[in-house]
Amino acid sequence: MNNVFGVIVISSFQLLLVLASAPLISGIIKKTKARFQRRRGASVVQPYFDLAKLLRKEVVVSPVASWLFRITPYLVFASTLVIALLVPTVVTPVPLHWIGDIITVIYLFALGRFFVALVGLDTGSAFGGLGSSREMSVASIIEPAMMLAIFTAAVTAGSTNLSIIVARLSSTPVAMLNPAHLLAFSGLFIVTIAETGRVPVDNPATHLELTMIHEAMILEYSGRYLALIEWASQMKLVVFLALLSNMFFPVGIATTWSPWALLVGSAAFFCKIIVLAVIVAVVESTNAKLRLFRVPEFLMVAFILSFLALILFFIIGA
Amino acid sequence: MGIIHLSTIGLLIDIFAAAILVTAVLIVSSRSLVFYIRLFALQSFFLGAVALLVVLGYGETHILIAAFLTIAVKAIALPMVLTRVIERIQVRKEIEFSINITASLLLCAGMVILSDSVAQSILSSQRGEAPAVSRVLSVSIAMMLIGLFIMMTRKKALTQIIGLLTMENGVFLSGLSITYGMPLIVEVGIFFDIMIAVLILGVFVFRINKTFETISIDSLRNLRH
Amino acid sequence: MILFSLLLGTPIAGSILCALFHKRRVLEIITVTSSGLTFLSAFWLAAKVMQETTLHSPQGWWYADGLSAYIIIIVSGSAFVVALYSIGYLRRQIYKRKVDAPKLWLYYLLLNIFLFTMMLVLLSNNLGFLWIGSEATTLATAFLVAFYERESSIEAAWKYVVICSVGITLALFGIILTYFSALHVVPASGNALHWSSLMLVAKELDPAVLKLAFIFILIGFGTKAGLAPMHTWKPDAYGEAPAPISALMAAGLVNVALYSLMRFYILVDKAVGGGFASTLFIIFGLMSMGVAVPFILLQRDFKRLLAYSSVEHVGIIVFALGIGTPLAYFGALLHLLNNAIAKILLFLTAGNVRMAYGSRIMHKVTGAIKVIPASATLLIVGVFAITGWPPFGIFVSEFTIVSAGFTSGNIVPAILFIGFITTIFVGFIYYTSRMVLGEPHRPVKGSDADSASLLLLGLLLGALLMLGVFIPSQLQQCIQNAVNVLKG
Repeated sequence: MNNVFGVIVISSFQLLLVLASAPLISGIIKKTKARFQRRRGASVVQPYFDLAKLLRKEVVVSPVASWLFRITPYLVFASTLVIALLVPTVVTPVPLHWIGDIITVIYLFALGRFFVALVGLDTGSAFGGLGSSREMSVASIIEPAMMLAIFTAAVTAGSTNLSIIVARLSSTPVAMLNPAHLLAFSGLFIVTIAETGRVPVDNPATHLELTMIHEAMILEYSGRYLALIEWASQMKLVVFLALLSNMFFPVGIATTWSPWALLVGSAAFFCKIIVLAVIVAVVESTNAKLRLFRVPEFLMVAFILSFLALILFFIIGA
Repeated sequence: MGIIHLSTIGLLIDIFAAAILVTAVLIVSSRSLVFYIRLFALQSFFLGAVALLVVLGYGETHILIAAFLTIAVKAIALPMVLTRVIERIQVRKEIEFSINITASLLLCAGMVILSDSVAQSILSSQRGEAPAVSRVLSVSIAMMLIGLFIMMTRKKALTQIIGLLTMENGVFLSGLSITYGMPLIVEVGIFFDIMIAVLILGVFVFRINKTFETISIDSLRNLRH
Repeated sequence: MILFSLLLGTPIAGSILCALFHKRRVLEIITVTSSGLTFLSAFWLAAKVMQETTLHSPQGWWYADGLSAYIIIIVSGSAFVVALYSIGYLRRQIYKRKVDAPKLWLYYLLLNIFLFTMMLVLLSNNLGFLWIGSEATTLATAFLVAFYERESSIEAAWKYVVICSVGITLALFGIILTYFSALHVVPASGNALHWSSLMLVAKELDPAVLKLAFIFILIGFGTKAGLAPMHTWKPDAYGEAPAPISALMAAGLVNVALYSLMRFYILVDKAVGGGFASTLFIIFGLMSMGVAVPFILLQRDFKRLLAYSSVEHVGIIVFALGIGTPLAYFGALLHLLNNAIAKILLFLTAGNVRMAYGSRIMHKVTGAIKVIPASATLLIVGVFAITGWPPFGIFVSEFTIVSAGFTSGNIVPAILFIGFITTIFVGFIYYTSRMVLGEPHRPVKGSDADSASLLLLGLLLGALLMLGVFIPSQLQQCIQNAVNVLKG
């Protein structure tokens, strides 16, 4: 299947997988959190219904909003889809791995963030601007931390291409337990929590003006625009979980395109990201939201962990 | 001791050493005294684990007692004593800083780099063959520096104790890494000294609390010149 | 071997007996006997060392040579004098209700333990034991510094324990590095921490590692000795501790720390050579003297004044060791003795003044010659002695050191040395003459110390005077043996 047809099939499979699993993962997190609060909680498939409903609802756009407001949801959604094509989920190397490496991924995230932050300012609502400024100040620490964490993995593998990192690591399982690797993992885990707007950095479940970051920026959206943005952020979570699981523990990932390998790969992938999603939910349930002024300190820990990981790589060696 | 492969032991030592370093850095990032004590307990536990691994992997049985002492005294007994002290004097649990957390963490990162270069210069100048775990030396020097840093910038009396203990842990780790630990009787004597030192400092914390009604060392500023 | 057990065992026995008894008289007798016996054993040790050069215990854990014998005499002698003076001092304190029975017991118990820990340092051959003993000296004195439980004394004790423990922890790292450099060289690795085995192979030790080790050790034991800039605990601790304890710390503990520094100095100088260790010593010595100058010139409290004088004199000794000629070594060791006697004399006299006036603040103390004539005379003469006036011993030792500095070619350091000493002299005389002469501000009720204590202080002054006029041949021989050890 090493041809154009195969590339198309595998790529679409991966795209569909991320698209389809994203609402499920966020449903699982919500359910777990509900259980922690002794509630029964909504079904894990509830996010699908929410998306479907939002897609059908009419769109209300503020009269002062500019064209940015209309194109941003599509831009964010599209950039997330491209990322989903680059990050190895069930198979490595991903068919389109030559499009770009880890730096491309980081910049694509930054692109989405940039437009969402602009939109927060665009409608001129007080909350939007507030959210944008918070998002940017948080991002200024997250991005270096994320780069350092990923670079540690990249240095170990000797390449910045995600697929090659994953492939190298899956061929030498001992390297997964390298202390530098473990530290980079914990650094990236904190980055994930911050980047996907989870407690203790942000709370996706409230619209409390004192604390909200991400929700503040997208407060003006409704209908299908909101659906796209929500869906994109759910995919972002899946992509991060995929990065966490495959860049650090690529157990069971498919290295050929045979159906059997793909099946095993998918099963392993789901197991890993569901476990990680539950861990995220546990973290969210057992921690209180940090005061906004404390958030940089928390993120600084992620930065330092990643930094130590990089240093330890040179001290102790791979 | 051929039961466990030597490279596995080496890997485990690396992991625990990294964990020790992380606990030291997390202490710097922490704001509550309770966390300080818990992280210190965890750190000592990892240190004991490293010592046990050195016993397992390299047959240095004389460290066995030091390893158990580390776990019993530093990971269990001293944290319990310190926790009792906190409970008894009901101190306001937030720690004050003279350098904020963000800057402290960046400085810590710098200290880790510095200690690595120091460690490399020590190891490279050695003529004979260095022990197998000597790559952990940079972690131990970093811990000494971070411990000293905690003592200089955190203003509670108890944080000074934790800083001192972190330094001690670093020194113990350095002994472990480049010399497989000091002779047993010396190691035991050192432990005894440290324990007494912490107990004495604990008594002083009570007295400071009684006479100053706070345990912030900021109030210890009467003696000048 | 019996000597080692005697020197270590007597203070231990003293501590145990003190722990068992609570009667004042019994405690006094125990402490005086144990420190007196230790003092006598020290002379025996010195005599033995003169015959056999070095003494080893069977497994090599304990060791003595000319240097340790000489310093043991000074330290145990100081302890004996302090124990004698403590009797009268504490009786007066009890009479004034400043001290109660449990505290009295604690005082004598800790005094015995303190003596034991100092002996532990001075007799260990194993550098690890040396470290353990050094940290133990800090711990033994912690409660003695906090003895009066005032706010300021607890603060001083806290600073003292924390700063000294940090310093000594760094020194431990230095010892580990020394051990590391010796592991491949010393045949039986159990002996790799023994000073005597290290000396045998000093030339083969790795110089780069030893240099780093020496820096850590200099910082660590320098903190204990009170070298600038690690001296900050010293004025607080000396100022707050009871006068006899300050005296014993300034005369005993300082010399114990200097002894540890000397041991490493000998080792590193032999292994590294090239004046590495001696340059560091000269720099730190001069720095300590220089730092003491402004604090002595602008001082309000006379016990702190004496503490800074201690910083200065440690600087002088370390400076002399750094010059590194036999003459300088001789001067340094002689100064060690002179300084110890003068410091005991001054701290104890200061204790008398303090008790009479109820204050340590200098401008509140005037006309002491009219109130407590005996102590006031001792004070002003003692100050002339400590600032290096002839015909007292310190003049001789300082003169020896300066001439060694000039003849060895260290012209600039030697000139700085003279400058510092002169300035400090001016400050000292200015303050003490105001304290001693003139009229008392207000009527002072306090009385002088008992005549036995005063006689003791008079004897100390006599010893200083004697050392300034002539040095007995036995003492000369003893110092010469120690100089031979220092020469490596």
